[in-house]
Amino acid sequence: MAMAGDLISDSGNSSAAAAPKLRVDESHCYGDFLVHEGIRFDVRENEFLCVCGPSGCGKTTLLDILSGNMKPTQGSVKLDGHEINPRRDRVSFVFQEPSTLPWLTVRDNVSTGLRIRRTDAAERDRQVDAIIGMVGLKGFEDHYPHQISGGMKQRVAIARAFVIDADLILMDEPFVSLDQPTRERMQREVLDVWERRRRTVIFVTHNIEEAVFLGDRIIVLSTKPARIVADIAIPLDRPRDPLSTDFIALRTQCSEKLHAMQA
Amino acid sequence: MAVPATAPERDDAAAPTAADVTETAALKRPRVKKSVSTWLWNIAVLIVTLGLWQVATALVGSPFFPGPVAIARAFVDLVQAGDTSGITLWEHAWASITRVMVGFALAILFGVPLGIFMGLYPRTYENSRVILEPFRFIPPIAWIPLAIIFFSGMPRFAFLIFLGAFFPIFTAAMVGVARVEPIHRKVGLVFGASKSWIIRHIVLPTILPDILGGMRVGLGAAWLTIVAAELAGGISTGLGRMMVNYAELVQIPQVVVGMLLIGAIGFLMNEALLLLEKRLFRWRWQVTL
Repeated sequence: MAMAGDLISDSGNSSAAAAPKLRVDESHCYGDFLVHEGIRFDVRENEFLCVCGPSGCGKTTLLDILSGNMKPTQGSVKLDGHEINPRRDRVSFVFQEPSTLPWLTVRDNVSTGLRIRRTDAAERDRQVDAIIGMVGLKGFEDHYPHQISGGMKQRVAIARAFVIDADLILMDEPFVSLDQPTRERMQREVLDVWERRRRTVIFVTHNIEEAVFLGDRIIVLSTKPARIVADIAIPLDRPRDPLSTDFIALRTQCSEKLHAMQA
Repeated sequence: MAVPATAPERDDAAAPTAADVTETAALKRPRVKKSVSTWLWNIAVLIVTLGLWQVATALVGSPFFPGPVAIARAFVDLVQAGDTSGITLWEHAWASITRVMVGFALAILFGVPLGIFMGLYPRTYENSRVILEPFRFIPPIAWIPLAIIFFSGMPRFAFLIFLGAFFPIFTAAMVGVARVEPIHRKVGLVFGASKSWIIRHIVLPTILPDILGGMRVGLGAAWLTIVAAELAGGISTGLGRMMVNYAELVQIPQVVVGMLLIGAIGFLMNEALLLLEKRLFRWRWQVTL
């Protein structure tokens, strides 16, 4: 019985793995101004995809479209084969700017998504406790955001994004305002959480080194209008060493793509 | 406790230290501590003032200028025996307080939802400004003649106090909504929250401090209005009424008792709201006035 069940669910999984988790195919313009031209890519389930582009590559628009909060002028974003809908699908977001709610404790901030989804209280507490331990906020559950540092606030935001059983997690340059050592530590931490809680992640950044360090794959965008100029797999094992020759080679490759289209 | 201005970020991720917490403590504005010496000073100032007042009274020696002793005697008298018709000071005070409470509650009941609504839909406010704004500048006292014609008893007072307290509460709620951080709204939106969830869990917590601030202003206005409304007559209770009665009899100590009690009650109500503010908004570090 159990074996048969496993077999069925296995075959179910493998066929699901063949179809992409997310299929993006869109173009967008504001009036006559074209911002995205033929942005087409697939994201596998549980893939960590980095999107890298210069300032003005329509990053904010892309995130709004990916989260389903904005309709592209042409085309669509499909999650598991249907058009993405933030009210129905589980999409979470880690913002660039501090986004913790100052009137809630760390615990209540982390559980925001669960409370919106009306998860029952016992289950909610269990999940929040687990994720809080994972991001190293244990002992700070009852603190308010103004009592903790910027890095810790961003950990709260990451915990809030990973605690729900999200179909898609969007990250908008979440570490850009942190100092370099904190930033590097947070990069390792986010990978650590992602490895324990496999989710489909799209991580937007200007920083190529960050993208190569984090992603399974990198999409490089051009600017005005944004087009995909490169789609590069990063086959390196984690944890990655930014000083290794393979790492440097891939970083250089991405850099060249980025600079080639700027020239 | 020695608090470093900036705590260094640690190397291990698993166990944050107290340094992270105290980092922002240095940014907090220093508060004047209400220490024992502050209390002692206040008591000393009070005693000296009362002493000087008593001495001045003795020097003047006029019934139109009563001292603390005469006023204290009038107070005891009003509490024990009541006024000329046997109504005690507490009955007068209670009559005024209940009127204020009823009018004030109505002002909250209408002011908060209407303020939130007009804050969420600024066009409704912009398009009806022509009516709302002039109304705001009619002092509640100017409504007394009409209120006397149309209402009597509790409805009259409730109406006048409502007018006094409504606008500060309404305006505070409305202006507060405009200050909701877009990023906080977006947090709700991207996690799939409904509009009503965002209003209850994002907008309301944001504007609650504003509403409480508006309530304190509104309470001042309500308390101001009640005395004026009671002076107008038609009733036998209320601190304002009591004061007019004694003014007509030229019994100044009783009038002053009424004044002081109005000050004391207003002060206590304000302190109660401040205390509520402190309890509710521990997450804010703003110093309240």
